[in-house]
Amino acid sequence: MLDLNRAVALALLAFSSGYAYLAYTYHLLPFELFLSVRPNTMPLALAVGGIICSLFLLIKKQSPENETEGDGTVNRADGEYLKNPQNYNWFQGIALLVLATFYALFLRSLGFLFCTSTFLILGGILLGERRYTLLISISFTASILVWYLVHEVLTIFLRPWPGWFY
Amino acid sequence: MFDGMLLGLETAFTLQNMFFAALGCFIGTIIGMLPGLGPMSVVAIMIPVSLQIGDPSTTLILLAGVYYGAIFGGSTSSILINAPGEAAVVATAFDGYPMAQKGQAGKALTIAAISSFSGGTIGVILLMFFAPALANFAILFWSAEYFALVLVGLSAISAFAGKGKVLKALMMTLLGLMLATVGESSLFHAPRFTLGIMDLQSGINFVTLAMGLFAVPEAFFLAIDKIRGKKSSSNKSQEISNLRINLKEAKAIMPVIARQSVQGFLIGVMPGTGATIASFLGYAVERNLASPEERKEFGKGSIKGLAAPETANNAASTGSFVPLLTLGIPGSGTTAVLLGAFIALNLQPGPQLMQDRPEVFWSIIMSMYFGNVILLLLNLPLVPYIARLLLIPRSFLIPFVLFFAMAGAYIGQNNATELLLLLGFGVLAIIFRFADYPLPPLLIGFVLGQMFEDNLGRAMRNANGIQFIWERPMTLTLIISAAIFILVPLIRDWLTNKRK
Repeated sequence: MLDLNRAVALALLAFSSGYAYLAYTYHLLPFELFLSVRPNTMPLALAVGGIICSLFLLIKKQSPENETEGDGTVNRADGEYLKNPQNYNWFQGIALLVLATFYALFLRSLGFLFCTSTFLILGGILLGERRYTLLISISFTASILVWYLVHEVLTIFLRPWPGWFY
Repeated sequence: MFDGMLLGLETAFTLQNMFFAALGCFIGTIIGMLPGLGPMSVVAIMIPVSLQIGDPSTTLILLAGVYYGAIFGGSTSSILINAPGEAAVVATAFDGYPMAQKGQAGKALTIAAISSFSGGTIGVILLMFFAPALANFAILFWSAEYFALVLVGLSAISAFAGKGKVLKALMMTLLGLMLATVGESSLFHAPRFTLGIMDLQSGINFVTLAMGLFAVPEAFFLAIDKIRGKKSSSNKSQEISNLRINLKEAKAIMPVIARQSVQGFLIGVMPGTGATIASFLGYAVERNLASPEERKEFGKGSIKGLAAPETANNAASTGSFVPLLTLGIPGSGTTAVLLGAFIALNLQPGPQLMQDRPEVFWSIIMSMYFGNVILLLLNLPLVPYIARLLLIPRSFLIPFVLFFAMAGAYIGQNNATELLLLLGFGVLAIIFRFADYPLPPLLIGFVLGQMFEDNLGRAMRNANGIQFIWERPMTLTLIISAAIFILVPLIRDWLTNKRK
């Protein structure tokens, strides 16, 4: 059966094969043909290694999952989350990643200050924070502080406002 | 030489210079905590400001302080939020973050501070007495030896190859090496594997990959699991900020610090290697020297696994000043930036510096010693407060972790594609973690990949083949050591599994 382990191995096999194809078809310049090391020498070796490794991973008998670490800390082996998915808050995790994607998409057009404070406020609300005044004030203060440190003190350009604003 | 040391002491220990050394350490620590702003960027940013001071000794003392502070600052974000913003502190996160998760953040930060101080201080002592002799030794190293050194550094992956994960660790290393070939390399000057995407022309950014692999999955897992990484203890606040290291722990890390100070310094002396290889190599060597019981702890919160890279990267940073001060050759990216500061100050580092401007030469060395003491005095009292950052409610902490990770990748690049790449790597890392694939080998492969290919390529070109392996005894010795470091644990694990 195609479990997650084998699915990942299969994806790695596909990646290694694609990489091998690109390395093999890499356009060498005429003088590079006479070099002892060509731009695709190491990539080809890596691709062969990757294909062999992923094939072994694909056909290998699966070892038992890691056990929970016995250090008194609630620190589950990551595979355990999939065994009892109903016990965890998947919505919060996935929504946070979606929010981060929106942050990445709109950071340039909406400017650092607005985008960052909105991300921090919505992220906090998403994770259950209901002290809105505190959340809004901390988010704005943090955005302004980081922007001031980076843009004004360190003189690294960071557009504060939306592009159309000025 | 002793006259020079006295002159250096006299110059470095003026009230003005002591103030600027302390200021440099403070600024470096604060800015260095931001992922993406490693020592090289921080020093580069501070040069225009520091040149306003006017006095060359004071300027260089300030910059040296910034350098040390930034290295320590980078370790803090690695330990607390698993966000190594610089290649030299990646190995610090391997054991530092698990310690923080076990509620030992204060202890981890203290060990990092003490190891950094010891590595830096022993490095300065070695620099004072052996700098000219070591500079001549360093230039005997050719690309063949550098290639072999990188190979030994790669052997650090065996630490993550336990419990039937050998193949997975190997696959992740290969994946890291493949990702390192994306973009232009210094050897071939033509872009490879960019798929026509302009943003990949200069390769994958280290910070983007590191934050994607470590910080994003951590934020995700903390979001889905409310009690992850928490300890059911009544006095959690006290425990998390507790700095105390017991006698047994001190005894355990002392030999590690002694060994890694010398080893890290020697690696730092060689131009082009620097703190990154020193930290991985230090980690790999100490894991192999540890008893079987202690070895099992590596990667899960071992104090030796934390002390080794922290000592080695600081000693290597000091070591990288040897070729700069004695030969005028920058041994690392940061010292190359410092060379720019020397030139801006009308100083030419090299053999003449010690004779023409002894007060500058010796005051830099003396201020490094002073800078290390300041760094320890400044940071130890702050450790309990820094460690308490982990007690911030999750609804504030998680978005901030994610924000700092993204800001690190965005600052300096001003490129939103980096953020999308970071999130893409983050999602992949989450899937890999579900399938129990170890991620540190991927980053080790990526960090060392370019050095690996460049030095192997140059060595093969020089020798017109691979005969350099057996023709150069030092190379052969290092390659055999790397093979032993990688193969022995693998065979041991294989035999153990077979017996079961």
